[in-house]
Amino acid sequence: MTVDTTEPSDDRLVADARGGSDDAFARLVRRYKRKVFGLAGRFARDDDELDDICQDVFVKVYENLGTFRGDAPFEHWLTRIAIRTCYDALRSRRREQRHLPLGIVHNEIEDAAIDARQAAAQARDLLEWGLSGLRPEERLVITLLELEEKSVREIAGLTGWSATNVKVRAFRARQKLKGLLERHYER
Amino acid sequence: MKDERDELLDGLFVAARTMRRDTAVVEERFETRLLARIAERRSSWLLWSVWSWRLVPVFAAVAVVVGLGSVFSDPARSTDIFAAFTNGYEEFQAASLLAGG
Repeated sequence: MTVDTTEPSDDRLVADARGGSDDAFARLVRRYKRKVFGLAGRFARDDDELDDICQDVFVKVYENLGTFRGDAPFEHWLTRIAIRTCYDALRSRRREQRHLPLGIVHNEIEDAAIDARQAAAQARDLLEWGLSGLRPEERLVITLLELEEKSVREIAGLTGWSATNVKVRAFRARQKLKGLLERHYER
Repeated sequence: MKDERDELLDGLFVAARTMRRDTAVVEERFETRLLARIAERRSSWLLWSVWSWRLVPVFAAVAVVVGLGSVFSDPARSTDIFAAFTNGYEEFQAASLLAGG
């Protein structure tokens, strides 16, 4: 007796999920949740918000499966929804509080003897502090460009903004970040 | 041209890029929570749909009662669909005749 161990394709699972199979949808979620969590983790402030964003993403996916035409890969469609949801989450934040002791962070980053992992974590906190001072669209673009290492063209495709618009927002974000960091260090 | 601030920013990006948030705890039983939420949404939508269908006969009955009421409570109803216009015109003619117009 032979057992078929091949994983069903995304299209197969999407078709089954459309037909009402929760099991097929759960398999899709299992397949892509790591990617969605990784992306949303760049924007969420804590685990609760991360869970909310990821749930929102997959609920939207579930409710819009009927509109998925299959012109582009499922993963691309999912990423678009994830980015849109992250952007909505950023926009819904009224004002973020900055309460990091950044002077200490900066000194420790410059210390060559410090543990690399700890330095990376502190750099992430410092960057998080700077990013929280940006407008949602600027933060989205600079995160996708610099942290997720997407190209301008990819970002344009994922956000629906023009390439020029993406470039302008990335430039502004960078300028603002530099200004924020500089002002902080001058203190 | 890149200045010192650019280098600092690039250094922060490089450091943050290598540092991904540990999401293992949140990912645990994520599918279960998600499917429960979807089931909840589905059932609330189903509830609305069931109730709206159940209320259809009530709305239909109200419409029939209002319709019948309007038919039987108007004794001056005429089969002439232009009655509303012609009645007014006839009254105007009679008034002007009596007034000597």
